[in-house]
Parts: sequence; C-alpha cells; structure tokens
Amino acid sequence: AGLILLFYLILYMFLAGMFSFCIYGLLLTLSPYTPTYRDRVSPPGVMIRPYLHGFTIAFNVSEPSTWTPYVNSMHHFLQAYDDNIQEEKNIECPAGQYFVQDGAESKEKKACQFKRSQLQNCSGIEDPTFGYSTGQPCILLKMNRIIGYRPGYGTPVSVNCAIQKGNESALKSVDFYPGNGTFDLMYYPYYGKLTHVNYTSPLVALHFTDVKKNDFVPIQCRLNGEGIVNNVTNDRFLGRIIFTLSIGM
Amino acid sequence: DDHQLSVEDLELKYQTNVTKVRGMNSTVAGEILLRDGPNELKPPKGTPEYVKFARQLAGGLQCLMWVAAAICLIAFGIQCGQGDLTSADNLYLAIALIAVVVVTGCFGYYQEFKSTNIIASFKNLVPQQATVIRDGDKFQINANQLVVGDLVEIKGGDRVPADIRIITAQGCKVDNSSLTGESEPQTRAPECTHESPLETRNIAFFSTMCLEGTATGIIVNTGDRTIIGRIASLASGVENEKTPIAIEIEHFVDIIAGLAIFFGGTFFIVAMVIGYPFLKAMVFFMAIVVAYVPEGLLATVTVCLSLTAKRLARKNCVVKNLEAVETLGSTSVICSDKTGTLTQNRMTVSHLWFDNQIHTADTTEDQSGQSFDQSSETWRALCKIVSLCNRAFFKSGQDNVPVPKRIVIGDASETALLKFSEITLGNVMEYRERYKKACEIPFNSTNKFQLSIHELEDPRDPRYLLVMKGAPERILERCATIMIKGQELPLDEQWKEAFQTAYMDLGGLGERVLGFCHLYLDPGQFPRGFAFDTEDMNFPTSGLCFAGLISMIDPPRATVPDAVMKCRTAGIRVIMVTGDHPITAKAIAASVGIISEGSETVEDIAARMRIPVEQVNKREARACVVNGGQLKDMETEELVEILKMHPEMVFARTSPQQKLIIVESCQKLGAIVAVTGDGVNDSPALKKADIGVAMGIAGSDAAKNAADMILLDDNFASIVTGVEQGRLIFDNLKKSIAYTLTKNIPELTPYLIYITVSVPLPLGCITILFIELCTDIFPSVSLAYEKAESDIMHLKPRNPRRDRLVNEALAVYSYFQIGAIQSFAGFTDYFTAMAQEGWFPLLCVGLRAQWENDHLQDLQDSYGQEWTFGQRLYQEYTCYTVFFISIEMCQISDVLIRKTRRLSVFQQGFFRNKILVIAIVFQLCLGCFLCYCPGMPNIFNFMPIRFQWWLVPLPYGILIFVYDEIRKLGVRRHPGSWWDKELYY
Repeated sequence: AGLILLFYLILYMFLAGMFSFCIYGLLLTLSPYTPTYRDRVSPPGVMIRPYLHGFTIAFNVSEPSTWTPYVNSMHHFLQAYDDNIQEEKNIECPAGQYFVQDGAESKEKKACQFKRSQLQNCSGIEDPTFGYSTGQPCILLKMNRIIGYRPGYGTPVSVNCAIQKGNESALKSVDFYPGNGTFDLMYYPYYGKLTHVNYTSPLVALHFTDVKKNDFVPIQCRLNGEGIVNNVTNDRFLGRIIFTLSIGM
Repeated sequence: DDHQLSVEDLELKYQTNVTKVRGMNSTVAGEILLRDGPNELKPPKGTPEYVKFARQLAGGLQCLMWVAAAICLIAFGIQCGQGDLTSADNLYLAIALIAVVVVTGCFGYYQEFKSTNIIASFKNLVPQQATVIRDGDKFQINANQLVVGDLVEIKGGDRVPADIRIITAQGCKVDNSSLTGESEPQTRAPECTHESPLETRNIAFFSTMCLEGTATGIIVNTGDRTIIGRIASLASGVENEKTPIAIEIEHFVDIIAGLAIFFGGTFFIVAMVIGYPFLKAMVFFMAIVVAYVPEGLLATVTVCLSLTAKRLARKNCVVKNLEAVETLGSTSVICSDKTGTLTQNRMTVSHLWFDNQIHTADTTEDQSGQSFDQSSETWRALCKIVSLCNRAFFKSGQDNVPVPKRIVIGDASETALLKFSEITLGNVMEYRERYKKACEIPFNSTNKFQLSIHELEDPRDPRYLLVMKGAPERILERCATIMIKGQELPLDEQWKEAFQTAYMDLGGLGERVLGFCHLYLDPGQFPRGFAFDTEDMNFPTSGLCFAGLISMIDPPRATVPDAVMKCRTAGIRVIMVTGDHPITAKAIAASVGIISEGSETVEDIAARMRIPVEQVNKREARACVVNGGQLKDMETEELVEILKMHPEMVFARTSPQQKLIIVESCQKLGAIVAVTGDGVNDSPALKKADIGVAMGIAGSDAAKNAADMILLDDNFASIVTGVEQGRLIFDNLKKSIAYTLTKNIPELTPYLIYITVSVPLPLGCITILFIELCTDIFPSVSLAYEKAESDIMHLKPRNPRRDRLVNEALAVYSYFQIGAIQSFAGFTDYFTAMAQEGWFPLLCVGLRAQWENDHLQDLQDSYGQEWTFGQRLYQEYTCYTVFFISIEMCQISDVLIRKTRRLSVFQQGFFRNKILVIAIVFQLCLGCFLCYCPGMPNIFNFMPIRFQWWLVPLPYGILIFVYDEIRKLGVRRHPGSWWDKELYY
C-alpha cells in the first residue's frame, strides 16, 4: 500500500511540476502591458453610476432616505474626479485628438484631466444631491476601458437616450454634460492599469430634467459612433445600457 | 394411459368410430375444437412491447439521469418563480438529459426488436396439412384443426400431426430423435409394448417425422397437451438466467451510480458548508452527476455487442440475445448433444472386416477421406452382396446430386449400405438390373437376416447367387467356409475366434455390425427358372461362405474433433449429453476427443487390471460414462462430485429432466454452461443454460425459441468461432469502457475546482454531453474492431467471480492516472485561454461570484480592461470549448493506448484497425465542426477557438502515450510483479 501511495505521490508531483512548468511558460509569453488578444472585450460595453444593486433607480423625492444612497454612491465615485486631484495628478491635453504616447511599453503613461466641474449641473458641486432632491436625477455614463481602443475612429462617440419601449412622452428632456454628451478623443487610447496608473474614465452625465413621475420609465442610452456596436440582443450592455427610472413625488 | 386401452375403449372414450373407418362426426369434432382450442403449440408469452421499452428507460444510469433532469427542472422552476428569466440553461439541460435517456432507450429497444425479428423469420409460416377421416370420408385439413378422437392417416415423409395411438400400421417407422435423441428410426405398431407412453410402440408423437410405411391412428392428445407440448411448457417454466455480461454491466453501473451520488453528495455538502444557497448546491449536485455518469457507455456496449453479433451471423451463428455474444466467451462448460451436432445424423459405413483385417471406410461428409485397399477378391464378393442384398433405392431424378446428399427410400442401415456401394462401385441400380433378382426374404426380427437370390450377369453361367446379410452371429451360424483373399477356407475355430475378435472390436466402437455371406447354388439342383419359394425355403440357408462384416455408425462431423480440441486448449470442458446408448455415445465421444486418447473410465481400468469395478480407485479414471438409469438414483451432490472428479464426461440415455439437472449441477460448480441441442427435449436445458445454442437446420422451433443463439450450419465448430468472438469482445469492451471512463475525471474536476477554488466554470454540462454522446462514441465503438492481442483461444475461460469486466485496476488507472493527466491538460489549456484574453490565473481564483454577477457590467481583468457580463459569458464558452478540445486531444491519445493492454501499440500495429483511424479523423472533424460552425455559441455554447489552443494539450497527449508504453513495458517485462498487479487491467 505504501508503495502505491509513493507511486501516486511521484506521479502527481510530476504532473503538478509539468503543469507549473506549462503555466510558467505561458506567463513568460504574456506581456504585462498589453493583452495577447482583445477580441472578446471589444467593442466596449457601457456602465452607469450610481450603481447599487441593479439597473432600477427608484426613489421618492419627499423621502431623502430613499435617494441618499444614490447620492453617496455618486459622491464616492466622483472623488477621483475632484478638480484638485485631477490637476495634481494629470495633465491637460489638447482636446479633439487621441492622446497617443509613444516610447517604451513599460514607460509610465500620462493621463488627461477629467474634472468633476466639467459635469456642470451634475458635478454635485452646486447641487450636492445631483438633482435627486428635486426629482431631476443625474446619472453618469461610463464606457468600458479597452487597452489601445480608439473609439469612433477620429470622431468622438456621443450618447443619446430614449424610452426603451412604451410611451415616448414619458421622457421629455435630457441634458448631457460635458459638451452635448460626447467622450472626447483625448482620453483615448487607454494603456492599461500598470502604466496608465492615474487614468480616469471619461464620463457623460445624463441629467433627466423632465421624466414622468410615479411611474417606471425604461430608458435606453446608446453610444453612437463608428465601430460601436449597440444592437446585440444577447448582450444588452454592449454599446448601450438599459435602466429604469422611478421617481416618486 | 391411452396406449393401454383397447380400440373399443378408445372409440367410447373419444366418441369416434374406428372399426368401420368412419372417424368422427364433423359437428362433434367442431365442438371439441372449440373446447380444446386449435392443435398447435402456444407460443411462449412474450413481454409486452411497452414494458420492454420502459425497461430501456429505467436502468440504473437512466434513473440517475432522470434525477438530474428533475433537479434541473426544479432549479428552473424556482428561478422562474423568483422572476429570474435571464437564463434558461437549466431548462435546456433538463431537455437534453431527457432526450439522451429517451434516445439511448429507443436505440436499445431497436436493437432488441431487431434481434427478436431474426427469430420471427425462422418460424415456418406454411400450415401443415393432415389426412383425416371424418364421417367416413377422407379430408386434407390444416393440422391445427385436428381434435382428439380424429382418425388420421400418416405415411412416410409426413410430420405426425398430434399424439396418435396407432390402430393399424404397415412398416411404419418414425424418427423420435427430436424427442428422445435416439437417432435410429423407431418402429410403430398397434401393440402396446411398454407401460410408459414414451417407450411403447403404439404411440406416435406430435411433430416427429414418419420416415417410411403407413399407419392410421386415433388422436389422443392435441396442442399443448401433447408430450412435446408438455416439454415445451417445462422449458417456459425455467427462469431465464441473467447473462454474465449483464451481471458485469449491472455491477459496474451500481459502482458508477454509487460513486456519482457519493461525489455529488459530498460536494453538495461542501457547497452548503462553503455557503452556497441550497438551489445552487442542488445544481452542483446535478452537474456532478452529469459529469460523472458515462452517458454514452450503454450505447457503446450495445453497439459493440451488435457488431460482434453481426460478425458472428456471417459465420453462421445468429445471436438472439445480444448479451449472449459475450456469454459464449466466458463459457467454461459446453454440454453438447450428440446427434446432429457432433455427428452428421446419418448412418454411414465406417468399418469393414474381411481378409481377417479391419478396414476403415471414408466417413467424411464430402467423401474426401482415404479409402481402403479394394484389390482383394474378397472385397469384390462382399461388395456384390452389399449391393444386391439391399432393398433401399434412390429416389429418381437425383443423378446430379452428390451421393451423400441423395434421398433414399429405405431404412437407415440399408441407406448407409446403398450409399456406400454407390460410392465404391458406381451405379448400383444398373448393377442390380444386371443381376436379376429371383426371390427375396426381407429382414424380420425373428430371422434376423435378409436374403435374396440373383441370376448371374454372365448369361452363359447358369448358376444362381444367394446373398445374405444380418446379425453377425446368426450369419456365422449358417456359414461353413470363409473367404480369405478370394479363397474359400473352412471356417474352423481359429477363424471363428478371429471373427469374434473383430465383432467385439467393432461393437466396442459403438457401431452397428452386419455380417455378409453368399453361396453360388449348384446349377444342377437349381437350374435357370427354378421356382424359389420363400415360405418353404426350398434352397440352402446354411453352409454358406462368410464374406465379411460391415459396421455402421452415425459418424462425427469432420470439423468436430478439431473444434473439441480447440475447446480443450481454450480451457473449455465439453460434456456429451445424449439420449443414445452408452456404448455408441462413448465411441463417438472418443472419436471426437471428448474422451481423449489414453483416458479410461472406471470400467476400462477394471477390465485392464482384471479387478472388479468396485476396487478401482475412481480418481484414476479421467473419463466417465453415466447413463440415465444411474443418474436417476443419484443425489445432486453426488452428481456434482462426479463432475468434479472426472474431467471427461459422457451422459447417455438421459431424459429432458435429467439434462436440466446436469446443467444445474455444472452451474453449481461455478461454471458458465453452454448447451447445444436441436430437439424439443433439449429446450428446458437450453433455457436453463447460461447460453443455449440451437441448431438452425435440424433444430425444432421449441429449441430455437428457448435458445440464445442459433447455429445456422448445425456445426459444432461454429461454437468455437463464437467462443473466440465472445472472448475478443470481452477484452475489447474492457478497452472501450476504460476509454469511456477516463474522460469522466476531466469532466468532473472542472466542477470540483469551480466549487472549491471559485474559478469561472471551465466546462459546461452541455459540453460534457457532447463529449459523451457525440465525439467520443465512434472511437469507443471502434475499439470493438481491435484484433486480439494474444492467442485468446489458449487462455482459460475467465472466472466470472474474479475477472470482472470493470475491475479496480481498470478504474483506478483510468481515473487517477490517465484521467488526472487529462485534467491537467484541460486546466493548462483553460488557464492559457483565460490568460491570453486578459485573465491571469491568480486573478481567476475566487473570481466566480463577480464573474457570474450579471449586473456587473464592468468587471476589470488583469490589465484593467472592463468586461460586460455578455463578454464574460462568451469568454466562459471559449473556456468550455478549449477544455473540450483538450479532452478530445487527450482522448485521441487515450484511444491509441487503449488498443492494447499488454502489448506495445507498435507491436499491435498503429494503423491496423482502420475503423479506429477513421474514428479519430471523424472525432477531429466533429470537434472542428462544433467549434467553427456559425451559430454554435448561442445554441450549444461552443466558441471558435484559436489554433494554438488546440496544441496546448499536445504535450499531455504525448505524455499519456509514453506513460502507457512504459506501463506496458513494465507489465510485459515483469509479469507478476507489483507493477503488473497494480497497473495491469
């Protein structure tokens, strides 16, 4: 019995060794800066903030306890975008063109400033409740990061929102910040978390200034731009996002 | 007891009229027909079709699959109830599982249905006709319309339509061999000669053949109440034994099911302890069951068996029950009938004694054997007697038929002599015409001789020739001289002793001996045209010249001795069980090698040592002949003891019941018993046997019904082929199962790692089903075509208790060695695919909860890229596919190593098994199709994968191959060593 245990010990040690060797060999071939393949992760998906536990943002204006979690989440998320932090860590970049940084792959990359104040009414500076206290909530839209990806191929990607299905009149107006709801080219491409340490994803704030109250309003926001895919049925977060607003008065 | 009643009593009993030959009243007959039912054997009750189908759906593994499907449905139901409609995976899986069970069930049912149909085609559909007398008129009616009391006529060539009490008979002889196993024709006459209905002469039995003569009789039993019918119902009372392979598979399914539940249960508990919700844990349980159960195995086994069955059918063995194929391979005792199986079932001249010398005649079926020296004058004289003193003749119009196959009108010995002289002499009919017959006295039991007087061929020779044959001692009494080398010598004491020795020798061979003599009559006393009177016998019947002896036997088939020899080398005991005389049985047994040369019975030893039988040490006797009378007084233990003591056994004069007891006793010794037989009398034993083998040509329907296998050419040698194929399929099934089991480990480990280490799931349930039921089926079946590794016919039959189909070594080797290597291959490829897409191995650990959170649409990978849930799902499918391909690549290596268990693959020949090569190519093509066919990702969760991911498992595949070669080398080099014991399966 002892002999067979020894036999298995040796066999499995050998196998584990071979496995480790293979994985080690694999890791040697991988670059820490650029993934070998990026075909599964692109085109980019979309995500919103506040994000608590789902894609239904429901609150009652008259009951602050229903919306303070959202507001706190927004503040927490936007901390990294505080103007002074951005100014301290990141540089100002020329707008309207990709911020391509040549040189060694391992060299630390600079990131462009995205200041919270650019979000204007949704910056939470003037209105620390992001409009939740008035029934005009702000929602931040964020495009998923993909290394080396240049969205729009030269033309900035823009955002539009519409009722997903149902009565069109439930959504009367949305304001977009900054600049009509586009992601400026200067924030791309992304160089990966190892070298692009201080990178902050550009945001588009959606300010729902006139949404039907006391009802569930399904809203779909899409990215528009060249190379963006936003109509795949299997993945409802690819180039678009669907969420529901329910604002009680 | 109808045979003991007088005709008058019978008339009264059955309301019939015999004396005036009026028969029954047809209206009364109609009533009786309604009361008793038609005169035919009721077919044995079959299992209803829906029960057969249901049985296919309710096996051990199938039940487990049903449970898994139920869990899937419940999980889906609960998900629906919670309003979670995002994934219908569980529903798909449930449907897939149910489909698998139903489809494999249909497949098994179809196989069974097909083999049943083979038998149906054997049934004779032409209704039998019978001549019956009713209301004083003769009718031809269907035999199934006959009732008790009917007066029927039978003649030579008819099948007896029911049990008949003979009223009148003219030279009627019947062949009872299918009932009693006696190959000699039995005379039927009106007199009651024995108190037992089976022995008396005045009953002719249902379904026996009337060979010659005519008879009329009253029907005393019809349908199932006939003797044959009663034996047939005895057969249906015998339980069908489970075949060894069925026991093996059951044994193995139990283990698999047990392990599956054990693994599933363990991980269910582990999952609960770790803190998964109950429903999730249930789904884990289900997934483990699906991963662990070899879904395709039963289909593989069925296909392998039916392939062998097909191969056997080409070699004249038709298998009714698929599992019987393997049973034959594990057979350790064959109880063979004599007549028709071991022998040719026709009397043939085997020996001649003339010129004081025993000559051997050619007894082969096709007359290919050596002939004896025919130059002697005595031979010419003897030949003349044989040809002339014979009443049998060929049916006309058979000139082109080879002599042994021609149909002869006449009794068995005369037929044998006629054919013998036709072969040695040429045209006997014409020869007889040249020697015109002047008069003749046919054989009768009081005279015990037959005599005829002929004119000579040469017209100038006025003599008559008297020729005579008969029982040798009676013939010798009438002789005064003996012909030796053409010279007539006085028959003195010396010659008489020579005669006695020869007679004893031939009789000892179990042969029927006839003496022949002749006399040229004095032309002065008997001129041409002399009126011979057979009543007065106005001619000499003594003082004749003795020419020689001729002995006849039903000779063994040419192929049988060789086949028996092969059985012997294959460790199979052949026991003869026959209804025939012990001496004949022993002689045939000796000539075919059932009693081998030099083996002696107790009686032989006693005779040799000149001591009484009681003083002989029974253990010294290898052979033993037991007859039915002795058997009757024997306890079962005693019989078992005898079977143990004497390796070479012959049972003679046995009844159907005794055959059954013999088979049971052999089974008590732990043997797997095959029984061959053709008669109705054999059917209970055929049924009781582990495998019953019926004869296709001579076999009765009852025998074929009871049997598991049918030899279309009635040739014992075909059984040897069957044994060989059976052993081969056992070996190959072992390989096939080893191959199939191996991949259960790489299917199972992903789940175990998934549950314990919480990596994203590496292999999905649907993918597992594809491996089990799609890509791996063909290779596992192709192993059935593998040639034997060694001369399997030189090995002992497997010990059903020790040599299991699936033994510990096989399972351990497949699971924990090859299976483990495959798992490592799968995980290597999995981590490669993950890492190359951005998920490093260490990140994967513990990632499961986030990975599977379908709200988390921006999960960061190792590079900081953000993935939506949908993207991650496709990545997961990529992993499934990569793992799938890894298993496939390793399985290719696996199927190559499974070609042999002991030999090197290079010794066996890499490409010798063409089917296997095709199967590998097919497997690869199927893998490519599943990967690269558009639409697959969303239907079956297969993603197109990168080329290099096909190559990642290759080193492991090579490792499997090399490792197994090393294993085999060790097993070959050091038989009996620790290595051999642990690693040889």
